[in-house]
Amino acid sequence: MIVVLGLSHRSAPVEMRERFAFAESRIPEALARLRARGRINEAVILSTCNRVEIYATGQPDVNTTAAELQEFLRDFHASPAPLPLEIYTLTEPQSVHHLFKVAAGLDSMVLGETEILGQLKQAYDLALQHKHTGPRLNKAFQRAFNVAKHIRTETNIQRGSVSVASVAVELAEKIFTTLSEHEVMVIGAGDTSEKTARALLSRGARSIVVANRSFDRAAELARELGGRAMRFDDWTKEFERVDIVISSTAAPHHILDRATLEPLVKLRRNRPLLLIDIAVPRDIDPEVNYLDNVFLYNVDDLQGIADNYLQQRREEIARCEAIIQEKAKPVLTMNAGSLNLSPTQQESHA
Amino acid sequence: MDWFTDRHTFLLAVLLYGLSTVYSVFLWRRGFRRDDYVNLALLGLAFVLHTAAMGLRGFSLKSCPVNNLYEATTFLAWALALASLVVSFLPRLRYVSTFAVPLLFIIGVFALMPSLDPPRGPKPEFTGWLVSLHAAMILLAYGAFGLGAVSGLMYLSQQHNLKFKKLSAVFSLLPPIQRVEVVTIRLVVVGFVFLTIGLFAGGRLPRPEGMTYFSDTKVKWSALLWLSYLVLLAWRWRPGLSGRRFAYGATGVFVFLLLTFWGTNLLSKLHHQ
Repeated sequence: MIVVLGLSHRSAPVEMRERFAFAESRIPEALARLRARGRINEAVILSTCNRVEIYATGQPDVNTTAAELQEFLRDFHASPAPLPLEIYTLTEPQSVHHLFKVAAGLDSMVLGETEILGQLKQAYDLALQHKHTGPRLNKAFQRAFNVAKHIRTETNIQRGSVSVASVAVELAEKIFTTLSEHEVMVIGAGDTSEKTARALLSRGARSIVVANRSFDRAAELARELGGRAMRFDDWTKEFERVDIVISSTAAPHHILDRATLEPLVKLRRNRPLLLIDIAVPRDIDPEVNYLDNVFLYNVDDLQGIADNYLQQRREEIARCEAIIQEKAKPVLTMNAGSLNLSPTQQESHA
Repeated sequence: MDWFTDRHTFLLAVLLYGLSTVYSVFLWRRGFRRDDYVNLALLGLAFVLHTAAMGLRGFSLKSCPVNNLYEATTFLAWALALASLVVSFLPRLRYVSTFAVPLLFIIGVFALMPSLDPPRGPKPEFTGWLVSLHAAMILLAYGAFGLGAVSGLMYLSQQHNLKFKKLSAVFSLLPPIQRVEVVTIRLVVVGFVFLTIGLFAGGRLPRPEGMTYFSDTKVKWSALLWLSYLVLLAWRWRPGLSGRRFAYGATGVFVFLLLTFWGTNLLSKLHHQ
């Protein structure tokens, strides 16, 4: 029977997650130590910034397996007994359902995200490579990967962008035929503008130019992004060339208004211009949106779209769970036993 | 099956255009969110029936079927349907057909009015390849202009949604507006080339006795239409006209064409010889 012991962003704060996290380089050692205790037959350790989980099979009595996992976790991290209540233990069928949910991104902080599937595959491969898996976990994990793929293609759980940066990319793709012909300008080298610029570059944007009050910071970011830096006072000179502008300065007033932009738009020979204003207070006067070929989005507009996508994803959860229930059946052990856990531990991830 | 004529085949095609129009409304209400082939299949089936209807008429006449208003109108709709189908196969332009079918349905219903297809009289005085070229080129031009107008409407809809931050702008599967703009311009250019060739061929036709071309209403109307599209394209090429204004222009001129096409035909003595 598959047992899961762990903690995640849902059950525990980051301070606790980091206490029980496994460094990637120490996972083979941890798996070896766990199996050397003699009561665990198969094990996979998943350790990411949002979750630490041990998937294992062992003794016919699930209470023994669960107790063994708890003891190992305490020993490995030199944690005083008893383990905090935030650590949950799941047995079948919840443990298998949980694995499938994790693989499909249903248990992720960003609902439906796909990064976790890659991390789960990596964790499984590592255990497989070091021969810590067997027929039960192999079957469960292979099935989990298939179910994740099935859910991705059959439902809308991964549809749309749920972060400000990816919404900005999606908007750019609704305006421009291809991003490879368009240059991006970043005004103000903040964290979100950097993420947005990176997202645009990863989708093929041609090049990037960075303008910042501190030229050194502009040069640093430009170097990181493979672009070029420019003096903050000169940024309007580039408006004829660039097609996407991300602005996030700390200016207390608008740095771009309609009167400034209007003559610049004429020089652009009717090419569309996407302005992404993620500064608060806003950098760009909303009036510029009334100019032909200019599309202005502020941080609330982008967040609104992201929230809407997230809502659409939430509406898909029931469908995904129905698929998981159905697809988990062949993996579940017949006549599954029960585990004496506290109600909070059982419910936290059921 | 003698009772089943080419008009009945065309009627079936129009019914399919109507069905596709109803389906298009559902797609529009759902915000074009999912990839959908049903409309394309309906349009394809209607196009096959439409082509069959024109083929039957053409074989019975042993010439290109553009001798009266019914035939001209069905040819115009056929050109529009063909252009829609071709464009629908381009990446992310599938929903062009959704915007085109209501227009096809309206034109089809109009074409079916009995007065547009009177019983055939004596053989027309002017026949031959030049007449066929003249009629075919002009009607293909109208088809391209029609699709240009459809594409222009698509641009205006998507541009409005993006400007005013409508969620449908992002959620829909409509193509990027820059691509729609290019498609609109190209369709108008293609239509303009066809129209120029068609009008040139018309000018080379034998002149009926006692008639001058430029005294005819249809010829004057055609010249105005040609000039309107020329101005639209020239204005665009001088980069003075934004995509939005070009889309309004392409749609507006085609609406003018649709509203006046049949009237000028009826007033034209030259086209009733």
